[in-house]
Amino acid sequence: MNSENELESRIDEVLKAEKENKIPRMTKQDYIIAAVITAVSLLGIIGGFFL
Amino acid sequence: MSRKHDVNKEIENEVYCGTLPVLPKERKYGFMDALLVLSGYCIATWSYTQGSYLATLVGFKQLLIGAFLAAIFMLMVYQLPVIMSVRYGIDIWIWLRSVFGPKGNKIVTIIIILVNFPWYAVCCELFADSMENLLGLFGIQLFNGAHLVLSLSCVIVGTIIALRGVGTITWTTRILVPLLLLVGVAVVVVGFTSVPMDVIWNYQPQLAGDADKTVNYVLNIEANFAFVITLVGGMAEVPRLCKSEKSGYYAGVLGQGAAGSFFVVVGAVMAIAMQYVTGQMVDDPTLMMATLSAPILGLSSLLLVAFANIGTQAVGSYIYGVMLKSTFKKISYKTLVLVLGVYVALLCVWGKITEYFGSFLTIGACVYAPLAALLFVDFFLIRKQKIDLKSAYELPGHNAYQYSKGFNIVGIICLALGFGFTLLIYDPIQGIIHNKILFMLTPTLASFIFTGVLYLLLSKIPGIRRYIRRDTYASPDKRPFDRAKVPPRQNIFFLPLMWLLCKMAVSPYKLKVDKHNMEGIKPPFLVYGSHNSFMDFYVTPLALKPYRANYISELEGFENFGEWIYRQAGCLGTRKFINDQSLIRNIARVIKRGDIMVIYPEARYANVGTNSHLTPSIAKLAKMLKVPVVTLNMQGNYLQQPIWNLKERKGARLHADLKCVVTAEEIGKLSVDEILGRISKELTYDEYKYQLENKIVINDEWRAEGLHYPLYKCRKCGKDFAMTSSGSRITCKHCGDSYEMDEYGQLHSLSGETIHIPDWYEWQRGFVHEEIREGRYKLDIPVRIEALPNAVNFVDCGIGRLIQDNEGFSLEFDNYRTEKHETLKFPAKSMVSLHTEYDYRGKYGPCVTLSTYDDTFFIYPTEESRDVFNPTKIQFATEFLGGLYS
Repeated sequence: MNSENELESRIDEVLKAEKENKIPRMTKQDYIIAAVITAVSLLGIIGGFFL
Repeated sequence: MSRKHDVNKEIENEVYCGTLPVLPKERKYGFMDALLVLSGYCIATWSYTQGSYLATLVGFKQLLIGAFLAAIFMLMVYQLPVIMSVRYGIDIWIWLRSVFGPKGNKIVTIIIILVNFPWYAVCCELFADSMENLLGLFGIQLFNGAHLVLSLSCVIVGTIIALRGVGTITWTTRILVPLLLLVGVAVVVVGFTSVPMDVIWNYQPQLAGDADKTVNYVLNIEANFAFVITLVGGMAEVPRLCKSEKSGYYAGVLGQGAAGSFFVVVGAVMAIAMQYVTGQMVDDPTLMMATLSAPILGLSSLLLVAFANIGTQAVGSYIYGVMLKSTFKKISYKTLVLVLGVYVALLCVWGKITEYFGSFLTIGACVYAPLAALLFVDFFLIRKQKIDLKSAYELPGHNAYQYSKGFNIVGIICLALGFGFTLLIYDPIQGIIHNKILFMLTPTLASFIFTGVLYLLLSKIPGIRRYIRRDTYASPDKRPFDRAKVPPRQNIFFLPLMWLLCKMAVSPYKLKVDKHNMEGIKPPFLVYGSHNSFMDFYVTPLALKPYRANYISELEGFENFGEWIYRQAGCLGTRKFINDQSLIRNIARVIKRGDIMVIYPEARYANVGTNSHLTPSIAKLAKMLKVPVVTLNMQGNYLQQPIWNLKERKGARLHADLKCVVTAEEIGKLSVDEILGRISKELTYDEYKYQLENKIVINDEWRAEGLHYPLYKCRKCGKDFAMTSSGSRITCKHCGDSYEMDEYGQLHSLSGETIHIPDWYEWQRGFVHEEIREGRYKLDIPVRIEALPNAVNFVDCGIGRLIQDNEGFSLEFDNYRTEKHETLKFPAKSMVSLHTEYDYRGKYGPCVTLSTYDDTFFIYPTEESRDVFNPTKIQFATEFLGGLYS
């Protein structure tokens, strides 16, 4: 029962932190950078067919 | 206290702490910390095996592209969901409980271990190879079977280390990672200095005559996709300890995509160098160093590689042992580690894991690719980055992820189909390509895309969406339905299918449609239909055949059957009893483009098979549109499935009258009252009268069950909400007065009195009117509220309070839009009636709905108010207060 209570209180704390954005989120810019890296990698892979 | 007990306790603590959500203040890792830890995990002697395997497929330049770009491409995509791990402080195995259900997740865990653990057999094989090769260099010949003994000894020592628990493993890791780095550095130095650089740079493999270079390049990409994707299982614990989503994400990408890939390339360089020098390609760093430099360096490296392989095996047994322990809590950690050891030992006895390295990689990816796709789609597109953590942890009272006895059938089927799809493209055992076009995408990527799209499409089917999104309350879609969206014409290709479906639905009930004054009447025109049951939606298209039409539908139908299907069927979405100007504009658009507009003006199913009063607004609309008005009076639909009991009555017979009541010429000349009079006359009906006159026998034993919802007041003692029904009887719980419903729908008292059901119904209405007139009417009860903002989902608004008095309705509740406790007012004069349900969707019980422009609130009784919540009485009061019966 104690472990269950601890788990529940942790979950509540995590959800509260999530709501308050205590853990820095990926920003729109981060997603754009990720998309660019992905696209460049893909282009590189396609380019590899011609080597 | 014994050592054994200590280990078990340690592991249990590890398992417990290892599954708890990590709080923000407990996060340890920044980007660099996470990068180092994950890099350490990715660097193992199997990287050399992967490198030498790639060198058999492609030249060095293509190998570099595969090792770095293919790895990074795949990692950029499939690592994205780790931001969930960071955000909630949980690992992906907790999240996967929502995708597979808690029990389904256990099976997936076992499958993952089955496909992942051959990595550790590779380590043991490498250990045995190193020992054999090195001893061979010193001229020592080993006996037959020595290879197996050596590989099994690696398993045994690794397992013993794993059994010693956390402390030993921590020390093993601390020694292991620097050792592997040391070996790597030595291999790089020796590899690049022992052969000319251009030999490596211009390397091309000696391919067999029938080998296809393109296929080999794809296999190279596939091997790298598979290599990075199958390592995710062991890395799942790290991101939850990161301090930001970005650090967790990029550490995962670069840990594998840069550090791990670098060692793969090192392995390739080593293999190429060895082939250049000896003519033989090897993946054993010990042998390479002994051959290319000096035996003493080989001997030194032997000790490093030997320990590295044993250490990797030990760490692997520990990680997966803990993973299994968190899934199978009742089995001891020791047993689980031993089982893993036996599994690796069996693979060593088989002895072909290195030979089938590429096959095993692809088989692993066959499972991981759909798994990663499910996680990706689930996280971003289905659950929209929200999870019900309490359900994921199976806390009491939180059962959103229990699905079908703990299994999410949809997730499991998608995983299985994704696995099968890969095999349809490529047979990894035989190396046979079944579909070359899809193979160009690589089996892993094709399976990833297929599974992701399949899961997403399935989630769009309303029934399946409700099944997999039982946690909508955690992340509901709150966007209001776009009422102004221009309705499409009924899909012409959809129409024959719809007619067929309608035909099938009505065929048991022998529908007959009579048309009156319909000669020369062609679209556009306006149809006003009676509204008795869902059967109306089957009868209407058949009555209007061969023309297509648009229909007005409550948003609830869109949610139930799916917006796409409803749009194809030509439905215009709205909310009931609101002043919807967008709807009027859309009706005008439908008429303007020459179609039929079907409206059910009562806006609610008949409670006891009789019509409701119609308002002048329907005649005003007709005058505004200046098109012919047609009425469709459907009989038998109510008898077939009355709203108070949704079981179908097979004895019902259907009939419909389609009649033009106002022609195009007349519409401009007739007054609103005259038009309303004509419509009302044609839409007057009494289903029980129709049943009696046509001698329609409905003899189902349960035919009266549910009748107490519309007939709630006892005729004898006058008590409200006293009635109950069972079988073919309706009885007063208070005074015992009882009535039998005969096969023609008439009620008979024990004293021989015969009651026509609509008479009883209307008799009750008079009492409500009286209560209101005398100022005695007031409803003030606790209720449970769910909002329907759109065609996607309901939003749980919890418990609130419903008040109805002479002023109208007040609804007090926690408004999810404003996140405040608010009171919404619905003035009495703004509503001429109210939508009611007696057993919503056959499982949610009685409710009434109140609508704003952006929400429909479904209001259910609580346990406390169950006995005094009667939709019929609330409706009577609403209609009287709204002026419908004044």
